[in-house]
Amino acid sequence: MSATTAEKPARDAHGAPDRGRARRERVTDLAANGEPAQWLLGGALAVGLAMIAGLLGLILWNGIVTFWPKPLEVVRLVNGTVIAGEPTRSEAYKVPAELLEALPPDTRAGIVRNGGFADRTLYKVGNFDIYNDDFRWVSDYEVAERSRPADLVFLERLEWGVAIGRISKVVADARDVTADRGAIASAHEVARRRWDTIRHIERRRIGDINYEIEHERLALRKLALQASNTGPVYAAAEARANVRIAELGKRYEALAGEAVALKQVDEQSTFAFTEIGGAEKSQRLSGIVRYYAANDIGLLDKLAIYFSRWAEFLTDEPREANTEGGVLPAIFGTFTMTLLMVVLVAPFGVITALYLREYARQGPIVSAVRISVNNLAGVPAIVYGVFGLGFFAYILGGSIDQIFFPERLPSPTFGTGGLLWSALTLALLTVPVVIVATEEALAAVPRSTREGALACGASKWQMIQRIVLPRAMPGIMTGLILAMARGAGEVAPLMLVGVVKLAPELPIDHHFPFLHLERSFMHLGFHIFDVGFQSRNSEAGKPMVFVTTLLLIALIFVMNITAIMVRNRLKRRFQGSTF
Amino acid sequence: MDARVEAEKPESAPRLPRRPHQTRWSVKAMDKAADWIIKIGGIFVILAVFGIMAFLVRVVVPLFLAGELESRSQHAYEAVTQTVLAETDDYHTILALVQKDGTVRLSHLGTGQPLKPIAFEFESRKATAFARTLATGDLAFGFDDGSVAFGKLTLAATVLAAADLPKDARSLGQRDWTDGSAVYSRIPGNQIRRVEAAVQIEPAQKVADGPIVSIDTHVAGTAERPTRTFVTIDSAGRVRLSRAESRVNAMTGAVRTIVATTEMPDLPTGIELKSAFTVDGGDQVYIPDVGGTIWRYDTRDFKAPRLAEKVKVLPDGVRLTAIGFLIGEQSLVVGGSDGAVDVFFRLPRADAPSTDGFTLVRAHQLEPQPVAVVALAPSPRSKMFATADISGNVWLRHSTSRQTLLKLPRIGDAERTLTLLMGPREDSIIAVSESGRTTTWQVNVPHPETTWSTIFGRVWYEGYDRPGLTWQSSSGTDQFEPKFSLVPLIFGTLKATFYALLFAVPLSLAAAVYTSEFVPPSVRQTVKPAMEMMASLPSVVLGFIAALILAPLVETWIAAVLMLFVMIPLSLLVAGYLWQFIPGHLARRWHGLVRFAVVGATVGIGGWLAFGLSGPLETLFFAGNLKAWANRDIGSGIPFMTLILTPLAAFALAYVLRSSVGEVLAQRMRRASPTTAAAIDIGRWVVHVGAAVLLALVVASTLAALGFDPRGGVVDTYVQRNTLIVGFAMGFAVIPIIYTISEDALNAVPEHLRAAALACGATKWQTATRIILPTALSGIFAAVMIGMGRAVGETMIVVMAAGNTPILEWNIFNGLRALSANIAVELPEAVKDGSLYRMLFLAALTLFVMTFIVNTIAEIIRQRFRQRAVSL
Repeated sequence: MSATTAEKPARDAHGAPDRGRARRERVTDLAANGEPAQWLLGGALAVGLAMIAGLLGLILWNGIVTFWPKPLEVVRLVNGTVIAGEPTRSEAYKVPAELLEALPPDTRAGIVRNGGFADRTLYKVGNFDIYNDDFRWVSDYEVAERSRPADLVFLERLEWGVAIGRISKVVADARDVTADRGAIASAHEVARRRWDTIRHIERRRIGDINYEIEHERLALRKLALQASNTGPVYAAAEARANVRIAELGKRYEALAGEAVALKQVDEQSTFAFTEIGGAEKSQRLSGIVRYYAANDIGLLDKLAIYFSRWAEFLTDEPREANTEGGVLPAIFGTFTMTLLMVVLVAPFGVITALYLREYARQGPIVSAVRISVNNLAGVPAIVYGVFGLGFFAYILGGSIDQIFFPERLPSPTFGTGGLLWSALTLALLTVPVVIVATEEALAAVPRSTREGALACGASKWQMIQRIVLPRAMPGIMTGLILAMARGAGEVAPLMLVGVVKLAPELPIDHHFPFLHLERSFMHLGFHIFDVGFQSRNSEAGKPMVFVTTLLLIALIFVMNITAIMVRNRLKRRFQGSTF
Repeated sequence: MDARVEAEKPESAPRLPRRPHQTRWSVKAMDKAADWIIKIGGIFVILAVFGIMAFLVRVVVPLFLAGELESRSQHAYEAVTQTVLAETDDYHTILALVQKDGTVRLSHLGTGQPLKPIAFEFESRKATAFARTLATGDLAFGFDDGSVAFGKLTLAATVLAAADLPKDARSLGQRDWTDGSAVYSRIPGNQIRRVEAAVQIEPAQKVADGPIVSIDTHVAGTAERPTRTFVTIDSAGRVRLSRAESRVNAMTGAVRTIVATTEMPDLPTGIELKSAFTVDGGDQVYIPDVGGTIWRYDTRDFKAPRLAEKVKVLPDGVRLTAIGFLIGEQSLVVGGSDGAVDVFFRLPRADAPSTDGFTLVRAHQLEPQPVAVVALAPSPRSKMFATADISGNVWLRHSTSRQTLLKLPRIGDAERTLTLLMGPREDSIIAVSESGRTTTWQVNVPHPETTWSTIFGRVWYEGYDRPGLTWQSSSGTDQFEPKFSLVPLIFGTLKATFYALLFAVPLSLAAAVYTSEFVPPSVRQTVKPAMEMMASLPSVVLGFIAALILAPLVETWIAAVLMLFVMIPLSLLVAGYLWQFIPGHLARRWHGLVRFAVVGATVGIGGWLAFGLSGPLETLFFAGNLKAWANRDIGSGIPFMTLILTPLAAFALAYVLRSSVGEVLAQRMRRASPTTAAAIDIGRWVVHVGAAVLLALVVASTLAALGFDPRGGVVDTYVQRNTLIVGFAMGFAVIPIIYTISEDALNAVPEHLRAAALACGATKWQTATRIILPTALSGIFAAVMIGMGRAVGETMIVVMAAGNTPILEWNIFNGLRALSANIAVELPEAVKDGSLYRMLFLAALTLFVMTFIVNTIAEIIRQRFRQRAVSL
């Protein structure tokens, strides 16, 4: 489309008079211009763009503001109830008829004037352990008074989620420090560090010992299955294992003792607060992740809290049924799985494309295969998931278990969903994308280049390796990155072949063989589904879902943009050398 | 290419003496290796990809296989000619045959070796009737003195260490031993299993004066405090229902049994009763006679039983030769002397000729046996049962699917089967004949409930008042029968696809045409990637937004959301007509970005109008409350129908008036100045719309007078997670695909066609609609097909936003359960190789085939289009 065509119709539109023929007159044919119809078409495009902008804006805005510390409000209702909470969002809602009947006449008249709608605000009131609810809707007509007291504190706790109240008593190492803000802060830091140490002992060091004990047991079981559990070889091995297990048991006891001692120290530091209704609650100081007087902090403090929340989100484990804490395991799982998928899909996709384009005899069969491969890109992902579960996990994995891990049966090792099977399933899902992209890239390499290489005495493989592949590289890379982007965003097949809501162990750790292909893992996409749909309160999980969504979309967009950039750069490199 | 390398050698050798004479071995080796790796790898990947389909088919096929006979063994026993009941254990180790005199003949089932018999102690009585409960295996005996006793025959299995095998045990076959009474079997893990029979009998209770000729019983309550309901027929033809409650005294440990008895009234004398049955809980009693009539009593009031109905279940002249319940006691199987095997349900019917509103309905008519049916053996687990006829044919059947699974090889000629038994795990059938010959068939029938017709056709399930299409794979109760009809799921998929495309196709095609034809290239270069960006949004994100953000919002603003579909096009049309007033030179200068900006603003105004006027509009169209209106609580359907019919009426009017009024106006406008023409045009349009509304109103009122209401079909009761939401969210997934591919197709129309049309004096609009669109039509069609393929397979959006209820209605305000969502939800819990597992594989195969067909058609059309576009 050039400027010439853009101008022509405009001239034609109003029937530009042909001076050569006197009989023709100037006419106005509005129907020929179809202006209103064009507006409908344009409207469709505008709606489409508005949809994208709205969706991205919604995610971006919610994802970005979620971690910003908001002020706390105390609301006194007309009926005398007082609630304290963080205003989450406001909306207009249609007041149900039976509720409307019960309202005082002037309020009712106001609502009726407003078309039956009233405004209400959702307050995050926290204190789930006291109220049995995290959120509360307050309609505007119910409110008698709103205030923002400076001494109200927002608490993020390890258990029971958020709490809102006033600090009533803080004890640090059996010393009352309630009045001293600085002392509270430093005691809190000490308590948190102690808590980290306890967690390290309990998870990491005791976990290691358990792992070794389990290892010994399995080795013994394997021996029993291989030979028999009666011979002298077995007896010797059993004795050895028992000694080792006893030794590990001792270490376990020592560590457990250490943890208990630390916990006793930990009990000495407590934190008590009073919620707005007057109920007091005391707990260990170390169980408080973060606290701040929301109405009494400056911009810098707010920024610090904002970034510390992001840091926690990106580097910590989830807690409170995944609705709080971080998503590190999910980031890790998504990343490992996607990488493994690319490692699997790249050679196979490229080899298949090479075969189809360079080696196979072109004919009806190859073009039929090509159409089918194209179509497979359109086969629903869930079908690949079903195949992955039935074939990879149950049949392949089941056989691997029978042959290599009989000592662990009947609990499956590879015979159930896991990292490897997920990566393989997604590799199968994305292999058509890579094949199609690679084939197109190979086809774009000019025939003259190939012929030149062969004429210079290169063998076929040398020609492919040194001439064709480097030239096709931009296309191949684009295909791979697009496959990665598709793989990273796919959730449905993973639900069948290995994603779990909470994986106790990461797929990579310090135990041999370091990369544990059989382990199930967490995934950002599934995290969204799980937190949004399977937590006790979807409202409580919403902020987490938005932030995770933002992260996932950012990841996918970064991949897509990288694909475009890589393509452009590599294209430029080879642009000058076409014949 | 090998030839080429060789051809090179002789040339290069003489001129360059220093060069090696041969191609280096490493180059050759690499070349060969690459050759092989690429060929093998390429073919492997292609096969692997096609292997998916083969694998799915392989998993699915067993669903449609009836069953197979694995082995058959026959043994003849002495002194078992009086067999009344047979029993075997879960592992088919011991066969126990209860004789009329109370002895229990035991034998090793595999070899037929007899074991030491045991016996029920009947004291001085003679047993005249026997019964066994299906669910619990309790026995009941009726005696010649009119008393009844309960007993139990247990075949208990215990697992022992291998060393515990008794020294003096003698070998039975390959892996079994016996010490005379118990049987020991070797099992994996260096262990043995001991199976031993034991009998126990409780003291007899007197319920009648004469001998009891038939008995049927049920046990409820706990093991410590069982409540037994039993029905007896005495030799005088009197039928009694009794209830026995046993209480254990906590202090003394003594068992005290209280029996209450009531007699069935109004039973004619002189008929030959076949037997009597009661159901669990004892609130029904069935008394069939040999003539094929069943007297059904309503015994909910234990003290005053009433005859509910009298039904003839077999034609005249056919004798009733076998009758019994299947597990769950809702299906009554009746076997006749003509070989008929029919299944009856007790169903509520408005016109029931009974006193309790229920009646027996013949639900299934199974394939008849060649001669009279003499024995029935229901499965203790499912709706499978075996029937034996008088000439020794034993058939294995399934009630719900109506199929005959296996026709077992005959026992022997005309040997009357006394007792037929189906093994506890449904894997064996045992028949004991009059002569004491026992035949055991080991069978393997993994999926008796599925056939083509149960999966895709209507099936009459127990408790349903008519055959239906149901998907319900699991339930809380034990005796639940899984219902596998793929139809509601396929329907759900199609419904979601239809509504998604209804929204996405017009929007994306219109946007594509506009982008390709009416927007400057600079705008196009930014707009197109922006739309494509939508394609890379993970569907889990779309699902989450749709279900958690959009669904509650739309629920609050539903009327406004519906009005968007009216107000936005309406404002665009108004703005378009107004735009015609703008003088030509300005319109030409602004035709690109400026006009698009105004279009955008108009869309915004339309949206704002829809929300701002949602109150009055809701009152106008939906009687003030859309949800109540959709539920048919308030208002009438006329305004809404008018709204729907208006566009149709407008088109109809335009078509009818085109040659008369339209032509006159067009002539008028041609001669007028641009401004006047624009004024005439907008006036014409307003009148046109008004006339269309009037016409639509007339049609709608007529339809309403004829009793047609738009509610109840496409519009019905509102549910929060509904198809409107799914369609919208799926639009996000489908729009970019259709948009991109159809925009590419429009753009692929050769430039010279466009140039030629414009050069001939066609306007841009005429070029677009008469030249570009028809040329690109096949490409656009392919785009829609590909979009459809994506919508069919979309999983996360439907899992999250569709509510997942398997229903069969087009209501846009209700949810659906799609094939893909069903797989994602149920497969993680399905037992490997079970019926549900295979059904879900069938669902996946269905999806695969659906998308593969759609995509192949699209691909072929697209390739044709490309070739044609090149040749133009």
